[in-house]
Amino acid sequence: MSEALLSVRDLSVVFSGEDGPRTLIDNLSFDLGKGEILGLVGESGSGKSLTCRSLVRLMPSPKLKITAGTVTLDGRDITQVSEAEIRSVRGRDIGMIFQNPTSHLDPLMRIGDQIAEGIRVHRGVDGKEARAVALDILAQVGFPHPSRQYNGYPHEFSGGMRQRAMIGVALSCDPRILIADEPTTALDVTIQAQILRLLMDLRETRGLSVIMITHDLGIVAQTCDRIAVLRHGRLLEIGDKRDVLGQPQHPYTQNLIASHPSMPARQGTAVAPNDNAASKARPLIEIDDLHVRFPVTGRALFSGGPREFSAVKGVSLQVMPGETVGIVGESGSGKSTLARALLGLTPISEGHVAFDGADIVTERTKALRKLRRETAMVFQDPYNALNPRLTIGAMLAEVLAVQESVPKEKIPERIGELLDLVGLEREFADRKPLSMSGGQCQRAGIARALAVNPKLIVADECVAALDVTIQAQIVDLFRDLKKRLNLTLLFIAHDLAIVRSLCERVVVMYHGEIVEEGATDKVFAAPREAYTRALIDAIPDIDPDKPLLSPKGGEEFDEETPGLVTGEAT
Amino acid sequence: MSAALVPAWKAVRRRPTLLAGLILLSLFVVIALLAPLIAPFDPILQNGDLRLQPPSWGHPFGTDNFGRDIFSRVIWGARVDLQIAVIGVLFPFLIGTTVGTIAGYLGGKVDIAFMRFIDIILAFPFLVLMLSIIAILGPGLKSFYIAMALVGWVSYARLIRAQMLVLKTVDYATAALSLGFSGPRIMFRHLLPNAIAGSVVFSMSDCVLVLLSGAAISYLGLGVQPPIAEWGVMVAEGQSFITTAWWITLFPGLSIVTLAFGFSLTGDGLGDLLGVRE
Repeated sequence: MSEALLSVRDLSVVFSGEDGPRTLIDNLSFDLGKGEILGLVGESGSGKSLTCRSLVRLMPSPKLKITAGTVTLDGRDITQVSEAEIRSVRGRDIGMIFQNPTSHLDPLMRIGDQIAEGIRVHRGVDGKEARAVALDILAQVGFPHPSRQYNGYPHEFSGGMRQRAMIGVALSCDPRILIADEPTTALDVTIQAQILRLLMDLRETRGLSVIMITHDLGIVAQTCDRIAVLRHGRLLEIGDKRDVLGQPQHPYTQNLIASHPSMPARQGTAVAPNDNAASKARPLIEIDDLHVRFPVTGRALFSGGPREFSAVKGVSLQVMPGETVGIVGESGSGKSTLARALLGLTPISEGHVAFDGADIVTERTKALRKLRRETAMVFQDPYNALNPRLTIGAMLAEVLAVQESVPKEKIPERIGELLDLVGLEREFADRKPLSMSGGQCQRAGIARALAVNPKLIVADECVAALDVTIQAQIVDLFRDLKKRLNLTLLFIAHDLAIVRSLCERVVVMYHGEIVEEGATDKVFAAPREAYTRALIDAIPDIDPDKPLLSPKGGEEFDEETPGLVTGEAT
Repeated sequence: MSAALVPAWKAVRRRPTLLAGLILLSLFVVIALLAPLIAPFDPILQNGDLRLQPPSWGHPFGTDNFGRDIFSRVIWGARVDLQIAVIGVLFPFLIGTTVGTIAGYLGGKVDIAFMRFIDIILAFPFLVLMLSIIAILGPGLKSFYIAMALVGWVSYARLIRAQMLVLKTVDYATAALSLGFSGPRIMFRHLLPNAIAGSVVFSMSDCVLVLLSGAAISYLGLGVQPPIAEWGVMVAEGQSFITTAWWITLFPGLSIVTLAFGFSLTGDGLGDLLGVRE
């Protein structure tokens, strides 16, 4: 890299709260070269997003102040310039894109107009010319029909297209630096790969410098030139990606890399396939030609007759006791619906589901009683999954009391055991979810699942919302519990790397159908279906020399949820 | 008990709005409780010699057209008006919350039935419906409370129902379902406490509205019966003297405003405390 375009020196940001000041960013220094992609890596709370917001002085709270340091852009220190000047820096020099395009696009404004607005404001051109430039940008960020899609509203587009639109809005001001704050975290892997490719293309064509904030080392390895590792507001390590990933100096970085699920070391620890279980035992779960359909509401008045949307179309699956089965697929593939139908939480339209011999359709009462006492769920969002008004102890006590599995006087003791099992201190019995971290909440959620003494645990994206090191811990916890309690585990995830490290068998779903199923090793080593291959290729590998995606891969699969938009009749 | 109150007091102290509202409300409660001790005169004692006296040291708020001391009447009125505000809100709140919880959680036919019923109630002008119910039951405060309970619950039912519709899809509801918890347990123990904040805040501003409808009903002669001191009745009675003896309407009117202010400050503060605005 030539000389630095943006240079940050000794930046400190302090939060002045009621309990005195806290330093959130501590003496941070780094440079960004022209045309460079710099990855800022760290877990939640490491200050990576705050760093980038400080660069353009968009503080999320008035209690946050830059107390020291300089941010030099074009020879001037932008921490010191006037409010009017920083406004022209925002957008024109430094553009930003965020994790959730849905909340950062104006829902009442046409996508093209949102791009044209920035062009008019920052380049001072009239409406007609701005439109022409906006159309050009739409094409650049990968809208196939710019002139038609210019008039679309954000809700008419899929998540991936919205993210493209947001990149378009950021580009509208023709910035030299783009700050991308977890730009693909909310997207499916194949879409993520496309967006990352787009960012790299833009770097090539426009000479854009990018600061990429992410928690995923795979993304960094695939896209960035240099990596900066942050923790607790401090820069632990910065350097060329090959150096940092190859010979990490700091123990935290080493741990971060070891936690990445695509590492071969982790693959080795995957549970060995359980050959003998398959033949003799009766399957714990038998699903036969299952269909789940939902009425599409709000359209029936003029479209003539009720319309239905098929979430699960003719799925058949058997799970043996003690097996760990991963169900993977992108959003809208029907994997969560399948799980809910299996647990009797969603009505079944057609077909049969039996749990431990009890058919949910024909012997509903009996099957439900069995399900409620022998199965449990673990959810994606650890905070949403726990009642915010109950302490962990009260929550567990209630489950134990309702299930009547433990005599009343033994309940406190059992709560302690459950907390031990999931690796939480016993003091957590008196805490409420909001005072706990995401990982701790997830452990409490698992404790609740274990409180019923389940034969089967269904984990629905249960690590998707957690930091990588915490993800690794939770996956380890599952592996450990499975061994100790002889659990059957149905692990639903969009993250194939985690499924690969935990599950013996994998089921790939696409548009409500199973497209491929088999032993994890085999499916990952030699996928039979093109879709499975596209999914696997889209995982950003932590090895920078394994390129992301065969060019244009994955794009043959449309990213719209079928039926939801068109109201597919069945 | 005191251990549980300490954090509550801390939370209140950090919110000046809530503190001010609570102080104002407790002031009225104290006045109402101590009315026999504070009031210098009998509120219903008529005195022909003292008619329409302007405020003075002897009668700080003046006297009305029957020669009754307005200061004493305002103090005694606090008893009636606080009662109207509290009872007039309590029953609609309880009924509405229960109906809303059940309708929202069960959905389907139950929900449709309740919602159409609510639509029917809402189709009538509020006062007309109140008046017809009171006319059937006969005038008096008891009829007013019954009418209020029959009509006023609809807003609470709709508020809670909307919250329940959102909350029943939340993961901890699904978790409770998958753990075999019964419907009532999920509804009332897990979801309702998380849904109720908005209704609590609304009930505070509803107190003000009930107070005003109480006054309106009394003005029409169907609520509080003369000569009992009630602020709404007093305002109504003073109406014909407004140009000559302004004090008759002003002081009870101010009392209504101040009490209403206390309720809405408390409502705002509670909203902040319960995180309604977040």
